[in-house]
Amino acid sequence: MRELSDFQVDFAAALRDRARTPAMQRWLAGNGDEVDRRLAIYRANMVAAAGRALASACPVVRQVVGNDFFGGLAREYQHGTPSTSGDLTEYGSSFPDFLAGFEHTRDLPYLPDLARLEWAVHRACGAADAPDWDPSSLGAVDPEMQSAIRLQWAPGTAIVPSPHPIVRIWTIHQGGDDGQFSVDWSRSENALVTRDGFVVRVSDCSPADACFIAASLAGEPLGDAAAATLADHPDFDLAALLGRALAARQVCGFTL
Amino acid sequence: MNAANALVSGTGIGLRQPHYREVFERRPSLAFLEVHSENFFLEGGAAMHALERAREAYAISLHGVGLSLGSSDTLAEGHLAKLARLVGRIEPALVSEHLCWGGVGGVHFNDLLPLPHTRETLALLADRIDRVQARLKRRILVENLSAYVECRHSEMTETAFLAELARRTGCGLLLDLNNLYVNAINFGFDAAARLGDLDADSVGQIHLAGHTAVDDCLVDTHGALVSDPVWRLYEQACRRFGPRPTLIEWDTDLPALEVLLSEAARAEAIAQREAADA
Repeated sequence: MRELSDFQVDFAAALRDRARTPAMQRWLAGNGDEVDRRLAIYRANMVAAAGRALASACPVVRQVVGNDFFGGLAREYQHGTPSTSGDLTEYGSSFPDFLAGFEHTRDLPYLPDLARLEWAVHRACGAADAPDWDPSSLGAVDPEMQSAIRLQWAPGTAIVPSPHPIVRIWTIHQGGDDGQFSVDWSRSENALVTRDGFVVRVSDCSPADACFIAASLAGEPLGDAAAATLADHPDFDLAALLGRALAARQVCGFTL
Repeated sequence: MNAANALVSGTGIGLRQPHYREVFERRPSLAFLEVHSENFFLEGGAAMHALERAREAYAISLHGVGLSLGSSDTLAEGHLAKLARLVGRIEPALVSEHLCWGGVGGVHFNDLLPLPHTRETLALLADRIDRVQARLKRRILVENLSAYVECRHSEMTETAFLAELARRTGCGLLLDLNNLYVNAINFGFDAAARLGDLDADSVGQIHLAGHTAVDDCLVDTHGALVSDPVWRLYEQACRRFGPRPTLIEWDTDLPALEVLLSEAARAEAIAQREAADA
């Protein structure tokens, strides 16, 4: 398989770096200028595919920075972090980290966390549908055993903590907002991402609730997660949180 | 149920998100709906629900764009596993992939990159198609590409290559007439004459789409009406192969559903006229 492999390695190199195009004249018909122009079509497709995937996962980041600038971001990100899968819905998981290190968006310090929130929303959109579950089974657990309960949160549930008002920023970009474009930039917000049927919901949750849910999502039993949360947040109210989560069908089972 | 044998002719369109509601409300008369397989490599959610709803009313064609059958990297088993799961869940009438490569060395360009038509490529693709058909436990269709570059070291024409691949593996061909036409213009050959290279039995589906002229070549944009030369090619293909499931393919600058239905009706009329004349 040497010839095909050599051809593809040269082709890939020329797509990633135009300076490598001359090596393709050995493989492709036409003069150097023609080969260069034709490969440019594929090079543009490569950047456009990455841009479409990122725009689909992070539409609010795109609205914030504008289409043209977003296209440039996609080009930069694709250059350093090309796709490794034929399934583009997987592409962009490290885009928030890229934004955190990108000097030209430093004046938008909330952008990486906003992208993290959007990535969580993107994952939640295609997450498994939550199975039917009767929350009363939780009440039937022997009180002695309750601290060992590991909650199963509905697929797609995520916590995205941030020192910036990311929930507010995300919400005012959804359309159908309250018409008030004011943002309290001093607010820290912890985004709770949940799936309600087929709809993905994003809400701001308290630091205590965020701490507990993050620990519980990581697989910690109820007792440990609650103790760790109370140590940092003495006002944490586990019963109230569970009441809300169960009523909103955010939990879909448990293990002991 | 053997949906694979149920769809031998008729016209379909791509099912795209902006048209979901209208398609479900109007239930237009179509033989099938086609989606890109990778858009449904999902566990659940609204999009998967829409596809399952569409499946209740229509035969579905799963059209893959990312398996990268012709890559000299090893076959993407994880990707194939996701496809197999989707095929099991949707029970589509047709499953197709492109005869292309999408990446090498672990990097993916998420594009349909052209292959040299050599005996080496043929052997690789035949092995891959055998493995995919074994994994999916069904015949797949493989689609000819549009290309903007031509490999110097090709040893046979694209259509001779397709015909040999079908003979070796028993796979079907998804004959994209717009792609064939785009290549005919870009590389200077007679598209109609090349239809003669293909066995009628191997042609399992036809794609019709629009293209755009860019500088000195045609680019397969899937963003325009089917062109007159491609309609003429379709008439010739219907005459030669008989009616085949035919898709109006439109991916960029998606128009109103009505435009797609009108193109589909035109294709249906051609297929029926050619069948009556045969």
